[in-house]
Amino acid sequence: MKKGFSTILIVVAVVAVLVMWCAGKYNGLVKSEEAVTAQWGQVENVYQRRADLIPNLVQTVKGYAKHEESTLTEVVEARAKATSVNVDPSKLNAETLEQFQNAQAGLTAALGKLLVVREAYPELKADKMFLELQAQLEGTENRINVERNKYNEVAKEYNTAMRQFPTNIVAAVFGFETKAYFKADESASKAPAVSFE
Amino acid sequence: MRKLIISIILGCSCLLAGAFPQKPAVEGPVNDLASLLSHAQVLELQHMLVDFADSTSNQICVVTVNSLEGMSASQFAIQIGLEWKVGSADFNNGVVFLVKPRIGSEGGEVFIAVGRGLEGAIPDIYCHRIVNDVVIPYLAQGDYYGGIKAGCEKLMAYASGEYKEALDYDEDDEIAGIIAFLVILFFVVLVIMAKNRNNRGNGGNGGSGGRRGPDIIFIPGSGLGRSGGFGGGFGSSSGGFSGGFHGGFGGGSFGGGGAGGRF
Repeated sequence: MKKGFSTILIVVAVVAVLVMWCAGKYNGLVKSEEAVTAQWGQVENVYQRRADLIPNLVQTVKGYAKHEESTLTEVVEARAKATSVNVDPSKLNAETLEQFQNAQAGLTAALGKLLVVREAYPELKADKMFLELQAQLEGTENRINVERNKYNEVAKEYNTAMRQFPTNIVAAVFGFETKAYFKADESASKAPAVSFE
Repeated sequence: MRKLIISIILGCSCLLAGAFPQKPAVEGPVNDLASLLSHAQVLELQHMLVDFADSTSNQICVVTVNSLEGMSASQFAIQIGLEWKVGSADFNNGVVFLVKPRIGSEGGEVFIAVGRGLEGAIPDIYCHRIVNDVVIPYLAQGDYYGGIKAGCEKLMAYASGEYKEALDYDEDDEIAGIIAFLVILFFVVLVIMAKNRNNRGNGGNGGSGGRRGPDIIFIPGSGLGRSGGFGGGFGSSSGGFSGGFHGGFGGGSFGGGGAGGRF
C-alpha cells in the first residue's frame, strides 16, 4: 500500500517534469514561429510598397511614352497578379512561397522592361517626377532584398530549432511545419539593373 | 538566440564575401580602408562626426573601400550597417556613407545607407540628391575629402532634427526612479507597520513619535534617486573622444533605405 503510493508519486513527478519540458520547448517554438510570421509581414510590406509606387510610375511614363501601351499594360497586369497572391503566414511552405515569388518576379521583369523604355525618351529621363520615382523604386528593391534576407535568417533559426532532437518530437506532436526559404531567383539577381547612373 | 542570429549572419556573409571588412577594433566614424584621406583629414572628419553624434546621437559612419567584393554598392553599404550595427539600438539612427574610388577603368561608386530610424528624416530621394548633386561633383574631380565632407554636412543638416536626446539617459533615469520608489515604499511600509504597533502599545504619544520617522528616513531614498540620475548623465557623456560614438556602434538596424550613384 505504501509502496504503491510512492510509485504513483514518482510517476506523477516524472509526468510533471515531462509536461513542463514539453511546455518549454513548445513555447520556444511558438516564439520562434512568431518571429518568422512577423518578418513575413515585413516582407509583404516592402513588396506592397513597391506595388504602391507603380500607379504613379505608370502615369508618369504614360505622359511621355504614348507608344508603349503594351509595356505599360504588362506592368499593370503583373502588378495586379502580384498583389493578388497572398500567402497565409501560417502556411509558408515551399509551394505557397514559390507562387508568391513567381508573381513578384513577374512584376520585377515587367518593371525592368518599363525602365528600358525610358532610353528612347530623353524627356522622360529628365522628368523630375520620374527621377524621384526611380530613386524610390531603387530604394524599395534594396528594402525587398534586406527583408527577404532577414526572413531567411529567422526561418532558418526556426527550422533549425524545430528539426533538432529532441525538439522535433514536440514539433511533430503539435504539428509545427518547416518554413520555406526565398530562393535567389533570376529576376532578383537582375534587380540591381534597376539602378541608374 | 541572438548569438545564433549573429553567427548565422556572420557565417552567411563569410560565404558570400571572402574579405568583407570586419568591424574595426576601434569603432569610429571614419574608416578609410582605401586610404583616400590624409591623417589630418581623417581627424577633421572624425571630429565633426563625433561632435554630431554627441549632440544628436545619430551616428554617421564613413567607409571607403577599394573593392566591393562582388556585391553592389547598396548591398555592401547595408551589410556594413547591419554587421557593424551603426546607430543606436533604440533609434536605429545610423548612416553608412560608402565610397569606392575610381580605380583605373573601374568606375567609382557611392552609396549612403540610412538606418530605419532616419528613413523619415533622410528619405531615399534626399540621399539620391546628396550623392548625385553634392558628393559626386567633388569625387569626379578626385577630391574625395571635399565630397565626403560636403555629403556629411548635408546628412547632418537633414538628420539633426530627428533625435535630440543623448543615449541611455532616459533608461538609467527610469531605473534610478524605480529603485528610489521601491526604497521609499519599503520605508513607508516599515513606518506604517511600526506606527500600527506603537498605536496598539502606546497610544497617541507613540503615534507622533512614529510620524517623525519618515522625515529622517526619506533622505536616503531621495539621495539615492539623485545619485542614480547622475550616473546616467555621466555615462552618456563619458568616454571622451570615442564617447561620441558611445563606446562604439550602438546596435542599429538597417532596412535598406538610402541611395547611391556612380562616377
